[in-house]
Amino acid sequence: MFEKILIANRGEIALRIIRACKELGIRTVAVYSEADVNSMHVRQADEAICIGPAQSAKSYLNIAAIISAAEIADVEAIHPGYGFLAENAHFAEICESCGIRFIGPRPENIRLMGDKVEALMAVKKANIAILPGSEGVVNDRDAALAVAKRIGYPVMIKAVAGGGGRGMRIAHNDVSLANAFLTAQAESEAGFGNPAVYIEKRLEHPRHVEVQILADTQGNVVHLNERDCSIQRRHQKLIEESPSPRLSPKLRAKMGRAAVRLAEAIGYVSAGTVEFLLDRNDYFYFLEMNTRIQVEHPVTEIVTQVDIVKEQIRIAHGKALKLQQSSVGLFGHAIECRINAEDWEKDFAPCAGRVTAYSAPGGPGVRVDSHVYAGYEIPSHYDSMIGKIICVGHTRESATGRMRRALDEYIIEGVKTTIPLHRLILSDPRFRRGKYDTDFVDDLMEVQKKKKA
Amino acid sequence: MNIKEIKDIVALMNENEITEFVIEREGFKLSIRKGQQFEKGPAITQVAVPIAPVASSPPPSAPVTVGAKEAEATFIVSPMIGTFYASASADAPPFVEVGQEVDEETVVCIIEAMKVMNEIKAERKGTILEALVENGEAVEFGKKLFRVSGG
Repeated sequence: MFEKILIANRGEIALRIIRACKELGIRTVAVYSEADVNSMHVRQADEAICIGPAQSAKSYLNIAAIISAAEIADVEAIHPGYGFLAENAHFAEICESCGIRFIGPRPENIRLMGDKVEALMAVKKANIAILPGSEGVVNDRDAALAVAKRIGYPVMIKAVAGGGGRGMRIAHNDVSLANAFLTAQAESEAGFGNPAVYIEKRLEHPRHVEVQILADTQGNVVHLNERDCSIQRRHQKLIEESPSPRLSPKLRAKMGRAAVRLAEAIGYVSAGTVEFLLDRNDYFYFLEMNTRIQVEHPVTEIVTQVDIVKEQIRIAHGKALKLQQSSVGLFGHAIECRINAEDWEKDFAPCAGRVTAYSAPGGPGVRVDSHVYAGYEIPSHYDSMIGKIICVGHTRESATGRMRRALDEYIIEGVKTTIPLHRLILSDPRFRRGKYDTDFVDDLMEVQKKKKA
Repeated sequence: MNIKEIKDIVALMNENEITEFVIEREGFKLSIRKGQQFEKGPAITQVAVPIAPVASSPPPSAPVTVGAKEAEATFIVSPMIGTFYASASADAPPFVEVGQEVDEETVVCIIEAMKVMNEIKAERKGTILEALVENGEAVEFGKKLFRVSGG
């Protein structure tokens, strides 16, 4: 097994990886920016190296600094977490060429799935349904209009180099499409350094259902069932649960098989997630594949009792998966709430600052993945997620009831958080019945706005 | 200095939210630092300041100067993580020597990261008082490399 691993990340995921390493007897090296000198992952690691100033570009995205730290600390492997360099194929290649194992998929997996148009082609070849659309780069407005005419409105314009809900625009008619197309190109160039966009049909009231897979270097692939991540605001996930209240065992098996088929077809290695959109008629369409560990991985860990981070490390070390598909279970129901330091009533404005009081919920069936502590100064330079609560129960009802309790118990003072919004969602009758789609949160926010007016 | 005086200093620090206090007298140096979040933090180099005897006898109550010693000198800190090299090559002389005058453009060392040799400039006028790292030593971002007097 590896003796030393460097964690090229921060916050709660860095802490998560350190925990897995500790349990495997692996020494940990944390890297941090100046803004994170008092961060929990720095304290918990065996060694910690300051790699740059607060700005991500000069620290957590600074490949030379991270590799330099890895060489100085003499580590055998790097875990990139999620975000930052996790889906940077170039970084994965540099690790390998420096004799450092990248704990994640092969660079070619990252590259293929990172190009959303190339990904669609690979998916089609694997006999998985894709949404009607351009299926290729759309070069100009006229081409865009032609695609929309063929597939019908509404349509989504998406960045080829995008993903994670970013770089997307919706258009409902020719006029808005013409405008949105140019804006989308500009935003794509600014955000991803590549203006190329493609177009897909926008489904009505879809559910976002994704399948977790694990693949080793010997071609073994298993799926760990699905997560329903339809509770989103502006394409950013707020709440996830497993299993999806929408899926029958038959549909679960079908979607799981499709995800495995795709992973096998592209020779995927490590943990990954295949995202689908599910329509009201039980048809599912490929959305994208995330070639990294995801924020919401604990939901799957709890109901399958598989430690996904440990599996990533084992796979990276060349070990074969011990897990068989037939032994992957579904033990109860889990739900996760992402807690952000944001003022949800002021358009989710981020709230950096000092956490003056902090007490995480506990008790039966409650897991909290957070790097925050009383006295912690939340820096303003990074994303605003400060923790995740994951609750499990025998049934969906008991899991959601437990989550309501946990949300009530959570004490975070000094900064505003999105806990009140989660309470609102969790007590909504439609949510309680499991009847929601990706428009749910936006609808809820509209109702709230009207109430205040 | 007796324990009561130290207690008074600590009380003063708390009242005024001072986190670091350094005092030097002939043959004596006291450094108090409070308010660290954790006991273990990044490896911030503590400068071993040699205690220079004071020319005239000090007044009974020494002036309270917070971090006085460090305020006189400044430091060239590493702008990146890497390996510190004092000279351009193994047999070349070091870029700077103690006592040498430097200005903004003077190259004081090389920091190597991923096989790229980065020349580090002084970026201020002054005199090199002390080299704080050794040739071949790994340095993290922000590590103090040289103590430099004000120009």
